[in-house]
Amino acid sequence: MKVLPKIPKSWNLETKPHKFCPGCGHGLILKALGQVIDELGIQDRVVFGCDIGCSLLSWDFFNVDSVQTHHGRTTPVMVGIKRANPELVVVAYMGDGGGYAIGSQHLVNAATRDDKITVLLVNNTNYAMTGGQMAPTTMPGQKTETTPYGRDVSEAGYPMMGPEMVAAISQDGAYVARGSVARFRKLKEYIKKALENQMAMRGFSFVETLSTCPTNWRTNAEQTWAFLEDEMTKQYPPGELKTPTGKEG
Amino acid sequence: MGEKPIKGEQKAFMTGNEAVAWAALAAGADIMYGYPITPQNEIMQYWTRLAPKYEKKFLQTEDELSAGFTTVGGVLAGRRAFTATAGPGNVLMQEPMSMAEAMRIPTVVVVQQRGGPSTATVIYSQQEVTLTCFGGNGEGLRVVYSTSSHQELFDYTIKAFNTAWKYRFPTFVLADGYQAKMRESLVLYDPQEKGQKMVPTEAFVGKPGTPGEDRAPAHLRNTYNIEEELMDELAKDIKEYEEMTPEITEYEEFNTQDTDVLIVAHGIVFRSVAMAARELAEEGLKVGYFRPITLRPFPRQELQKAAAKAKQILVVESAYGQLLKMVKDNLYGLDVPIKGYLRPGVGITPEEVVADVRTILGEEE
Amino acid sequence: MKQEQLPPRVLEAYIGEYASGKSENAVNRAIELAGLGRRVTLVDLDLVEPCYTLRPLKRALGEKGVIVLAWDTSELIGLGETGNILKPEVRFCLRHPGDVILDIGYGASGVQVLNLVEGAVEERDLKVYAVINIARPMTATVPDIIDHVKLLSKVDGLINNSHLGEETDLEFIQEGAWVVKEAAAALGLPVVATSVMEQLAAEIGETDWYGHQVRALQRYLPQAFW
Repeated sequence: MKVLPKIPKSWNLETKPHKFCPGCGHGLILKALGQVIDELGIQDRVVFGCDIGCSLLSWDFFNVDSVQTHHGRTTPVMVGIKRANPELVVVAYMGDGGGYAIGSQHLVNAATRDDKITVLLVNNTNYAMTGGQMAPTTMPGQKTETTPYGRDVSEAGYPMMGPEMVAAISQDGAYVARGSVARFRKLKEYIKKALENQMAMRGFSFVETLSTCPTNWRTNAEQTWAFLEDEMTKQYPPGELKTPTGKEG
Repeated sequence: MGEKPIKGEQKAFMTGNEAVAWAALAAGADIMYGYPITPQNEIMQYWTRLAPKYEKKFLQTEDELSAGFTTVGGVLAGRRAFTATAGPGNVLMQEPMSMAEAMRIPTVVVVQQRGGPSTATVIYSQQEVTLTCFGGNGEGLRVVYSTSSHQELFDYTIKAFNTAWKYRFPTFVLADGYQAKMRESLVLYDPQEKGQKMVPTEAFVGKPGTPGEDRAPAHLRNTYNIEEELMDELAKDIKEYEEMTPEITEYEEFNTQDTDVLIVAHGIVFRSVAMAARELAEEGLKVGYFRPITLRPFPRQELQKAAAKAKQILVVESAYGQLLKMVKDNLYGLDVPIKGYLRPGVGITPEEVVADVRTILGEEE
Repeated sequence: MKQEQLPPRVLEAYIGEYASGKSENAVNRAIELAGLGRRVTLVDLDLVEPCYTLRPLKRALGEKGVIVLAWDTSELIGLGETGNILKPEVRFCLRHPGDVILDIGYGASGVQVLNLVEGAVEERDLKVYAVINIARPMTATVPDIIDHVKLLSKVDGLINNSHLGEETDLEFIQEGAWVVKEAAAALGLPVVATSVMEQLAAEIGETDWYGHQVRALQRYLPQAFW
């Protein structure tokens, strides 16, 4: 049996340990991505794009070519790169604010156009880097800095069901899944399938990951896990929403 | 690669938008990204008709933010990429171009100005001068060529790619709806055949080799931790911009030795001004003109030289003082009086200019 | 100033609104304790406006013998826009020997932020003090303060830090002390101190008009920004 190295080869060791908060899910997602890059042997042709928000802390995370863009604009920059050089494997890495709010038009249109890119979106139910404001994914009743009495859906609207939307508007060759940092093996499998889908030029690929933000949730380890596993998964069921074979996972 | 789009010199009669599409082909542009907005639509329309024949690409995006950012992506991939826009689209274009400015990404944008503010009109205007030169949250480290004929649209679109890739500042070709839509003749050519070498492109990402093993990874960013770090970066960019300035500023002048009225104008309005000045000069009046072709960087020393020998300066523009402000800024310290003939968003005829100059000369007599 | 009876470990958290003076109180307390020869760790738990607090003071505080747990701005890209990232060692700050002073930013979840610190909720000796400035519109009156402190949840005492910046006078401090005293009585909490800039503190004496201990503050934070 092949044993994977603990630290992915595609990680940039000079920037480790990374700077994400203790208990943050970003590290796990980027670990999964790093392992997938290694397994697919694509370190020499991946272009990693990161957004504004906590995702930008990953700008020098990997030993792969990386571009930190503007808030919400990672999708079009990666679309532009892919269109200009289809040999490259592009990954647009962003938070829920970048993908579902300020950059939602880009996500919708890249998915509809079936751009052969991979979007990895981190759902931690808030705008973390700016100090914990409400995000499109904030849960009903959840307290944030801009919903100090809890998200009142009659005023502030309902949570965005991103993968469900992308599954509905994307084409037959698309791959859409929702993973969770609580299920690392599944998450890695989804990310791998998403990148393979791009490499096969089958279609758009999108993985939302349910992630943790203890710093802004103000939770200890136990509470963090409980919120992710008990609350978030109720609102956002993990699983594959669309596979190119048409089967649902 | 497909066959060359243009062989030899070809006389052609076309719209300004077509001239831009042909110029981009002649310059060896690889890909255009764009979003429909009048009056630049035909650039995309001709490009999409011509592109497949020459193995060129096109992407119609969801808006100008995306058009600008995909253009940035295309350039990062090492391709000659461009986009075109106008008016409210140019407003949105400022966000991606501020990223290009920050990261020294050689984008090319063709702007066909419309009337403004807001949706306004689509034909004749010079109201996007400030926006194109200084838009975005930065210092305006860009190159802006203002054209006044179809030949110039062709010439400067080719040149824009070279300036952008040589100096790595975002470069704009600034025309307007009138130039975009009117028809006139021009000569199409392949720049390489005329000995005008195209500056080679270079990929920012996806270069050969494995990052971290064969080469350093490209880690590109536009966010800084501390103020001093940003200022160091900007100081370097500003220094390089200033060093570039004398190499690329362009202007045109006529009759600037000892003038009673020196008219300053750019772009389409310059055509009326040139006709008016020549007509008045033929009458023996001391009337000349100065036309900045690069609005950014501005030909400051050259204008100062011409202005020092003038009794009166008249700035004529289809805007309410956008060029006038630049002229005043660049002539600060000279005591020559400056007037404006300002017609925001409307056409200006040679007759109007002649009449205004006569009024000025009459007042002085 | 009367010598305070100090426990073997001083564990105090200062929490308050923007511009309440919580950081100034925390910094002064840490320096005071360090001045007594005690080992003091000062912790930046301001997750709301972190770039305006302790980071730029790290070096100066270090010279005064205070150990500071805070990011250096230069360590993190993106902090210029107010990054909100918890430094891993902050999570284990209560494991540091000696005194621990925490500077906590105000947020919608109040002192729930202590969930981020291992052992904080269980630590009985950790005192949470709400720093109140009645010049802040949301803590201007007795009912406002009561609401504010209830929202913060676990609070062990109030500190009157009422001030108007350079325009502070004794009359205003006294008004603050009275309002805070009334609010504390209604909440069943002690008033731990009235904290005042040192020039004015000398005019008030060791205790204020209502018998609250007076803490003289030196100003450190303005230097943080400029």
